[in-house]
Amino acid sequence: MRRVHYCFLILCAVLMSSFVMGQSRSVSGTITNSRGEPVPLATVQQKGTSTFSSANESGQFTINVSGDNAILVITSVGYISKEVAIGTAASYDIILEESGALSEVVVTALGITREKKALGYAAQEVKSEELNRNLQPNLVNALQGKVAGTTISSVGGGPGQGASIRIRGINSLDIGQSNEPLFVIDGVLMDNTTSESGATRNNQGIGVAHQVRSVGNRASDINPEDIETINVLKGGAATALYGLRGANGVVVITTKKGKAGTMQVNASTTYGLDNINKYPAVQKEYTAGILGEYVPIGLGPAFGPTIEEAKAIDPDHPDELYENYKRAYRTGKQVRHSLNMSGGNEIINYFSSISYFNQEGMMYFTDYSNLTARLNTDIKISPKFKSSVNMTFSNSGGYRFEADRYGESLAYFSPRWDVRDYINEDGTQLWRGTNNPIFGAATNRMKDDVNRFVGGIGFSYTPVRWLDLNYRVGLDTYNDNRFRTAPGLRGIPGESNYDNSLGLVGDYNTNFRAINSTFLATVNTAITSDLNLVVRAGQELYDRRTKYTGVLGQDLTVFDWFNLNNAARLTPSHNLTEYRLMGFFGEINLDYKNYLFLSVTGRNDITSTLRKPNNSFFYPSVSLSYVFSDHFQLPEYMSYGKLRLSYAKIGKDALPYSTVTGYSPYISLPEGVTGFTRADNLGDPLLRPEFTNTYEAGLEMSFLNRRLGFDFTYYHSLSEDQIINALVSSTTGYQSASVNAGSMRNKGVEIILKGTPISNKNFTWDANLNFSANRNKVVSLREGLDEIPYATHPGYGIAQVTMKLVPGLPYGSIFGSHYVRYGHTDDIKLDRSLPIVIGANGFPAVAPVSSQKYLGNSQPDWIAGLTNNFTYKRFTLSTLIDARWGFEKYSRLENFFSSFGIADYTTDRRDFKVFDGLLADGTPNTKSVWLGQAMGPDGEAYGEGYYRLYHRVVSENFVSDASWVRLRSASLSYALPDTWVRRSKFIRNASVSVTGNNLILITRYYGLDPESVSAGSGSNVDGFAGFTYPAARTFLFTLNVGF
Amino acid sequence: MKMRKFNYIYILAFTLLMAGCKKGYFDLNENPNQVSRPGLPSMLSTATHKSGINSYNVASITSQFVQYLAGPAAGGSTDTYQVVDYSGTWDAIYYALADIYDLRELAVEAGSSEYIGVANVLLAYNLSLAADIWGAVPFSEAFQGGNLTPVYDSEQAIYNEIVSLLDAGITELSKTDATIKLAAASDMIHGTTGDVRPKWLKTAYALKARALIKVSKTPGFNAAAVLQAIDNAYTGNEDDAGMGNFALRNNWAGVARSNAALTLGGWLSEQLVDHLNGTTYGVFDPRIEKITDLTVDGIYIGTVNGAGNRPPNNNTVKDECYVALSSPWTGDDSPLWLVTFAELKFIEAEAALDSDPGRAYNAYIAGITASMNKLEVEPAKRDAYLAEPGVAVGADDLTRNLIFKEKYVVTYLNPEAWNDVRRNDYDYKDFTLPENAVLNTFIRRVAYTNGEASKNGRNVPVVNSLADRLWWDQ
Repeated sequence: MRRVHYCFLILCAVLMSSFVMGQSRSVSGTITNSRGEPVPLATVQQKGTSTFSSANESGQFTINVSGDNAILVITSVGYISKEVAIGTAASYDIILEESGALSEVVVTALGITREKKALGYAAQEVKSEELNRNLQPNLVNALQGKVAGTTISSVGGGPGQGASIRIRGINSLDIGQSNEPLFVIDGVLMDNTTSESGATRNNQGIGVAHQVRSVGNRASDINPEDIETINVLKGGAATALYGLRGANGVVVITTKKGKAGTMQVNASTTYGLDNINKYPAVQKEYTAGILGEYVPIGLGPAFGPTIEEAKAIDPDHPDELYENYKRAYRTGKQVRHSLNMSGGNEIINYFSSISYFNQEGMMYFTDYSNLTARLNTDIKISPKFKSSVNMTFSNSGGYRFEADRYGESLAYFSPRWDVRDYINEDGTQLWRGTNNPIFGAATNRMKDDVNRFVGGIGFSYTPVRWLDLNYRVGLDTYNDNRFRTAPGLRGIPGESNYDNSLGLVGDYNTNFRAINSTFLATVNTAITSDLNLVVRAGQELYDRRTKYTGVLGQDLTVFDWFNLNNAARLTPSHNLTEYRLMGFFGEINLDYKNYLFLSVTGRNDITSTLRKPNNSFFYPSVSLSYVFSDHFQLPEYMSYGKLRLSYAKIGKDALPYSTVTGYSPYISLPEGVTGFTRADNLGDPLLRPEFTNTYEAGLEMSFLNRRLGFDFTYYHSLSEDQIINALVSSTTGYQSASVNAGSMRNKGVEIILKGTPISNKNFTWDANLNFSANRNKVVSLREGLDEIPYATHPGYGIAQVTMKLVPGLPYGSIFGSHYVRYGHTDDIKLDRSLPIVIGANGFPAVAPVSSQKYLGNSQPDWIAGLTNNFTYKRFTLSTLIDARWGFEKYSRLENFFSSFGIADYTTDRRDFKVFDGLLADGTPNTKSVWLGQAMGPDGEAYGEGYYRLYHRVVSENFVSDASWVRLRSASLSYALPDTWVRRSKFIRNASVSVTGNNLILITRYYGLDPESVSAGSGSNVDGFAGFTYPAARTFLFTLNVGF
Repeated sequence: MKMRKFNYIYILAFTLLMAGCKKGYFDLNENPNQVSRPGLPSMLSTATHKSGINSYNVASITSQFVQYLAGPAAGGSTDTYQVVDYSGTWDAIYYALADIYDLRELAVEAGSSEYIGVANVLLAYNLSLAADIWGAVPFSEAFQGGNLTPVYDSEQAIYNEIVSLLDAGITELSKTDATIKLAAASDMIHGTTGDVRPKWLKTAYALKARALIKVSKTPGFNAAAVLQAIDNAYTGNEDDAGMGNFALRNNWAGVARSNAALTLGGWLSEQLVDHLNGTTYGVFDPRIEKITDLTVDGIYIGTVNGAGNRPPNNNTVKDECYVALSSPWTGDDSPLWLVTFAELKFIEAEAALDSDPGRAYNAYIAGITASMNKLEVEPAKRDAYLAEPGVAVGADDLTRNLIFKEKYVVTYLNPEAWNDVRRNDYDYKDFTLPENAVLNTFIRRVAYTNGEASKNGRNVPVVNSLADRLWWDQ
């Protein structure tokens, strides 16, 4: 009941405000900039009097003037002041000239546009041109290297593959909680999850993190070319109005709008070629075999004899080993055709686009295509009443294969054979003693097919000049179908059927629907000529429903008829999740003399995932912006200076149904029998909301007429009493229990440097560097819980590694087995600088599996991006250098390559070596041992040899520095001279460009590109990069024509 | 006109605002994917199915210790007695125990003696699986929502709990007047049709006999009590407790199929193969033909524990023996046997050996016969084996060792085998330490799991060595 009250109060406030005031001679008008966009909140003063007024968000103003020949002085930050003589007319359209680059108006929370100088927190904007310069099909990838404090990783270089995004690090101790920011497109909350339904190895949507076919994150449904700007809101004060869903930051996307005038048409076509950017270094001397003996058909890819020795046994042996790491992949191809049209008149403006993207993957039998269409309209129904409609439809999907399984099969496959010979004429696998990955990709298939609609309708009403009422309702809905097939046995003797067992067919459907509704009232009033007040109040509602049904059919009767009726056994899966959230919020902005800005916000959320009374909670934020360069005179060379301070408290709710405990279906029973089992999670009806306290300070300055500038931010955030589904002892009968426990801290700095070193008529050079460093720490876990292991990755022997949360260590810590070190005392971290203890047999001593130690961390020390744009006459060259430094990853690929003698360094297998280290008594090791297998030249038996007995079994050999620096992209474009273009009467402009992505990669990491991860996108498990979908080096050619 | 539009917006906004204010709109306090009170049959199906699977889970560890199976790679960690994290098995047992615990709670509420009885029996069975390999384990504080770090009960306390659970089960299953009868169709062990209560009563006695014989090395051992339990237990192979209702197929058949598809596993140990093929005892046991297949070389040969694949052929060449799909024990539809009549006959033989050698010898012969029949050995071959001088020794020459030697074959792939092997102090002919073993003596227990160490670390008892013996194994 109290809530109903609450709602009424807001409505009443809104309605009351409709009473119009005013008298005497009144002049009104609209203030726009040279591009026709409204200039909000400008000050309008009658010259020589104290009469003043201020314009609203839409640039509209009304002022009472007295006397004849009145002159209005219009001032606004970032614009040159203008004087307008008032005649007899009642209305004036005033255009202000911009004074310089820093007069930016940015889109902040809830689509509120504010002057950048008034913001008391960090926000970074990426404009369309910069976003699309490297032609990334996934908009998350398009942001890579361009935003400070934002870590973006591609899963790999596969078609339609996903990417993950983290702003200012990991915030939650719960591995099941997303740490991805909220995506908002034109005011509509947009889903960016990555579903693994039907994409895991066990086909049931549950399982081991790396055993997944990477399907894209759902933001990839949006055509990046439709985007006008992306604003990344990072800290608590920036996201406060979005409430708990913005707790990990917010990516605010604004799509393009039409402009009044003649219709403009743009068409572009891009062709691209993908090749692997980094191959693992493999040895080329030793061929298939075991213990040095030649075994051509078997499970010993490269521990055989040398090629020469093998040829003596097998005359058919090729002269060189097959380069299967190249041959298992092909050149990928991609093409995008897009067309957009925009235009309008005083009443209606429109922007529409259609785009088709198709990519053939580098891995055989993988592909992706995406068709998107968009229509944005803005309608001016009356000067006071406007409406806008934005909608986009997309259809996307393609064949996906599991990169980890492909890589694993490829590692087993001997380079004595050509991997491209994968199939017999009868359709069975060409068997070389082990599975051929290409046969796997060809037969064990999964295709996703997604139809998605994201749209919203907004209304804005300005009954009086000091009041704006905005309402928007948005819908995001999709159906995601996954169809999975694998043929059964053909009945041919000796056939080997990869992972297809007796054949399977699976059909999985996810129906997603989210509605959000936002109401916002803005009151804008000048209290004195020096003090302006803006008050906002609003309400937001979010209602999400996700329904998933899947059926897996196993054991096909007709081996290649993929129909569920053809399966001997059907296993259904079914899930429904509903989530509802409402927030009431308010904001007060005070602007003193246009140099001191104070903003205070408050929001109260009511969530469906907590129970009364804990489901309703309030949290505030306050931020201050002080533009000291406008307060007092600075030296000439200092053009701009601003100090920012903010504090925010942000609430967070639980995952749905965390307060409930019940019984789930027990699905291992035979058909016809149902059973129940305790659900995995023990719910807690008394869960309380989680709160994060964030402090942020920043300094922005620019010099030399804004040719050079920097923006420095420091932040500190502490999330306490987190809601986590903590893993608990299975002796409780549960896998996890929802508890309020533990805290995590993030602190860091972000630095942006901007400069224009050269600017003249023919040549300009703009440079932009962003640098950020985040320090995360797990402060505490639940009482009685010493650590939370959250992921493991397999390895031979005891090389398996585990990622754990341990108090005092940062998120992303990788633990594993190690060699014994002399004088090692640290219980937690392995000190690699200490000498290795060498056993009496002359080989390094391996510590027992029970002694797992900290070997590295997957979170980088710092990240940086450097963009350079050079313009010379009609040529533009843009480069982006991207770096991620100081982090480690575990490579299962290298573990396999050691195990099977594939790695380049295993060519020393016939050498003698004295291992560097100390014996147990502290004396230096002097024993010479042979690194090979079986009987050594010294008459000693070495068994499986050094690599298989000592090297592959220890995790520390495979957890290595994954730091990288790369030339993320370079793009050269040429705008065709007008004289050429004008020959055809209807072409307005034309340009051609060539773009290269991932051109240079500098890293010490063994194997494939370490940016890729062995997990689905959005996964919090980012410490493993072995058998990934190889990253692509892409060349793209684009023709762009405007009509 | 303008005003009307303005009103529309308000109405629309108001409607959506009010939607948010609707009573109960935010009270999504029920999970649509779960039920809050499952019925007794639907918990019985889970309890019985999980018990069968757990017998496989534990056997897949202990079968390497008793050398039924051997790892395909040299230095395999289970083969060579390393500290291995068996979290998967531990978790499976405890999740099953929690479900059975809830089944008992629901049965008590419903007042069904039959369900209470079966729940007690299955609690005892699963608790034994854990206690027999780990020793002290949580029970008294386990499965209760509030306590997230249950304490470990002592080994003896757990043993006493198991016996009293079985006694309670016997008491409840002896009642014939239950108003709510066991749903046979949901019973994955004794079910499908008819009255399953008498079968469960026999199984309760069978497990009690097994529990009582386990303390044969302790002063409190009571052979008469064992025989008393036997008298009330199984009378033929048809009484055996086996779980043969699979979603897809028998788990061992799955191992066999995976091995064929090169996910290696289910390799028979040289110890078992030599035990059967005449190498060790000079007598060819026809059961080997029903346990495994001939190799590509036409012989029966096993893998040495800890040594892995025999050179020179690589491990994909089928030149050693494996768990076989062709076996009635490990075929696609073969049940996973929890406890059998044949095993009980050997318990009887052991318990009666001192007091009544005649009864002991009859039980010994009956046990071998039952085992042969169960494995579908041809009668002529069965009888020929039973006539072998080394087998048909007569009541006077029957030894404890001979009983254990024959029982070793009967408990193939059953977790109970390791209890027997430890009670018999690994005293089997030619039974040697695995190659590359990290202990210099036979393994006697396993280490607590990493999962427990990280999630319940403060309660986990210290284990010094895997050669440390459990209380009944001293």
